[in-house]
Amino acid sequence: MSELLIKNAYVIDPLQGIHGDIMDISIRDGRIVDKVSGSCEVIDAAGNLTLPGGIDSHTHVCGTKVNFGRYMSPEDMRAGRTPRRGAMYPTSGYTVPTTYGNSYRYSKMGYTTLLEGAMAPMEARHTHEEFAATPMQDMLANTLFDGNWSLFEAVGDKDIRQAAAVIGWTLAAVKGFGIKLTNPGGTEAWGFGEDLASIDEEVPNWDITPREIIDTTIRACELLHLPHSVHLHCNNLGMPGNYRTTLETLDIPGDMNPDRQTLYLTHVQFHSYGGNTWGDIKSEAEKISDSINNKPQVVIDMGQVMFGRTMTMTADGPMEFRLYTLHHNKWSNHDVELETGSGIIPVYYSRKSSVNSIMWAIGLELALLVKNPWQCMLTTDNPNGAPFVKYPEIIGLLMSNKYRSKELSQVHKLTTDRTSLGSIDRELSFEEIAVMTRAGQAKALGIINQGKGHFREDALADIAIYPVKPDQTDPSLQYEEVIGAFQQTLYTLKDGVVVSRDGEVITGVANRTFWSKANLPEDMDVLKSPRFVEKFSRFYSVDLENYLVQDEYVQRGVAMNTGVNS
Amino acid sequence: MQVTLTMKPRAKPFLPIEAEMINPMNFIGSQNLFVWEGNKKRRLEDIFTVRKEGNVNSPENIVVVLRGDTSRVKRVGEYMSSGTIIVEGDIGMHCGNFMRGGFIEIQGNADGWLGREMRGGSILCHGNAGDYCGSGYRGEKRGMRGGKIEVAGNAGDYLGEYLTGGEIHVHGNAGMFAGAEMRGGCLIIDGDARIPAANMAKGTCIIHGEIHEMLPTFEKIGEKDGMLVYHGDVANKGKGELIVKSKIT
Repeated sequence: MSELLIKNAYVIDPLQGIHGDIMDISIRDGRIVDKVSGSCEVIDAAGNLTLPGGIDSHTHVCGTKVNFGRYMSPEDMRAGRTPRRGAMYPTSGYTVPTTYGNSYRYSKMGYTTLLEGAMAPMEARHTHEEFAATPMQDMLANTLFDGNWSLFEAVGDKDIRQAAAVIGWTLAAVKGFGIKLTNPGGTEAWGFGEDLASIDEEVPNWDITPREIIDTTIRACELLHLPHSVHLHCNNLGMPGNYRTTLETLDIPGDMNPDRQTLYLTHVQFHSYGGNTWGDIKSEAEKISDSINNKPQVVIDMGQVMFGRTMTMTADGPMEFRLYTLHHNKWSNHDVELETGSGIIPVYYSRKSSVNSIMWAIGLELALLVKNPWQCMLTTDNPNGAPFVKYPEIIGLLMSNKYRSKELSQVHKLTTDRTSLGSIDRELSFEEIAVMTRAGQAKALGIINQGKGHFREDALADIAIYPVKPDQTDPSLQYEEVIGAFQQTLYTLKDGVVVSRDGEVITGVANRTFWSKANLPEDMDVLKSPRFVEKFSRFYSVDLENYLVQDEYVQRGVAMNTGVNS
Repeated sequence: MQVTLTMKPRAKPFLPIEAEMINPMNFIGSQNLFVWEGNKKRRLEDIFTVRKEGNVNSPENIVVVLRGDTSRVKRVGEYMSSGTIIVEGDIGMHCGNFMRGGFIEIQGNADGWLGREMRGGSILCHGNAGDYCGSGYRGEKRGMRGGKIEVAGNAGDYLGEYLTGGEIHVHGNAGMFAGAEMRGGCLIIDGDARIPAANMAKGTCIIHGEIHEMLPTFEKIGEKDGMLVYHGDVANKGKGELIVKSKIT
């Protein structure tokens, strides 16, 4: 039995309604408890900001796509090298670091839970192997269904139960957590060299539209009671004028389930462009955020762009091809049999570029215009908008109007005309930042009852203590101190163990993998459907038995049981 | 001042030595210098007999002489900005990486990546140079950006890949893909070359010997001083210049 007491912590715990009280936190065996004995180890937080461990609800850190990013950019491995030291493995890479690099850098910033944004079911094993090599970060994998033929058949038949059966079986088979749709239908069309221009265009060879795919999938997700809602990357990413598609998509769930979040839109910054060409691109963040402000069942994440070098990687193959035709740099394009695809290219976001500067401003506009912080998560869609190590700078930009104006004066001059960023004077508080980086994410992902994102009794003791005293700091003026504090915690605790101290990783704690186990009634067993099984013998390059991810790949898996109401 | 580093006999002479600190600047004063031999960190004195003659306080007047079997010593002169290094035998890979100024003379042969991504200064190699001389490292989009490399012997494959500035002059023959992806600068080969200047975007590549398997994506635009002048690589809208004596396809 190990016990630990954190004294004099300035705690912000939005899920419990604690708004900055000086209090003590007791930990026993990796969980928060009411009281510990007097003789246990004590950490004095000395009034510093203490938050639940950070959660990143959309990041790309593990899996085939990330790994391909690593090996197509050996020059990236020259940056961010750290030698082996103490308990730390050597790391390298800046935009796509090694798994240990990801783990340590997130840990330094106080993060303890990561959601891998896109795992192709066929390639799940690779993702789980990399999860196992990312210690100190509990992992979840959103599973790609955007071009899944079995799901398409169910959508074509308008059979929600069958769609739910396919999704439930696949998630359990590949140990996935939630449903990810990336450019639904468009990725499948890209297999035939095409893309879809609107959500009402038919998918080639299929009698269905993206609207039907999204609608059916949301209904299937609600039927299955999955912890997380459908996680959607809208069609037409990065196209000037795509905000119309985004608004139409936002209207799809309607009031489908008023009690619960029904849709999570990811990296909305890339989907809020007005204008018709790159020459007259402008921000439509106001329209998008108005729509979100009226839809309490929708949650978004920013997908903020920050200036500098990075790597874009997504299952959205056609979009990456369009980017390639702009940049003429390296490009990777990949097809995943009956399921999805992907593309990767390196990019450089420049302050001198009007388009890049406008993108930068749109992300911030979204975070500031969405009134409820529980509806807008802080992300960069790592590494698409920027590597996650830039999060503290984004926090600084959101908390300080002064810093924002200073930065705005240094970007392309068209930005002030084409966006409304200059006219927004909202400054987020520490509490709102806490919501956008942990509490809101725990709620959006549905992992509160797994002990994530709060300090209730029996919660997991994932804790970040930042070297900043909120009652003595004015973030709107002292933004540099705030950025510095969020870059490096005093202590990061994972399961009650101090894993990182003053930026130094002390020890590695094994992580968990959360996955969704849908308990389905007999009539929803897809393995009894000849049409489903035939796909494996006719089309897939693997047999059904070899498709399943065996338990040894997920040694520390935590199954989250869900099921269909019969 | 002259610093003479004489290689001591080694139990395992094949183990590479990472010696990026062999840089004239580091021999001012008397700080401890370390190199890596395989995965072991060693003092410079464990590997070399170090003899210093004279006294100076500016790196320009320092001459570092490497003696003995230095063919496995890597990264000599990395980031060097002034002074001189003279290698009496062969030198290992990555000699003169990112060099900004000064002079390196190699009396024997150089291994791969000689003058990789160098910015300035000059390198003279009396023997042969290995592959990727004056190029960028894996994945890098810019190779050598300034300065001069002269090789009296032959050069290996991928000579001056992604060459962006400066000059490379090879008196012997070059291997395959010399000047591939050139972005600028000047590449002169006195001997023969095979498939040169593939996908070049800018810069000048002059070949006085014979070309084997010249790419068809170069457009002939005229003759100058008895040499044929080509424009390309038109496959990717390149605006480079390939000047050749004779062409064998």
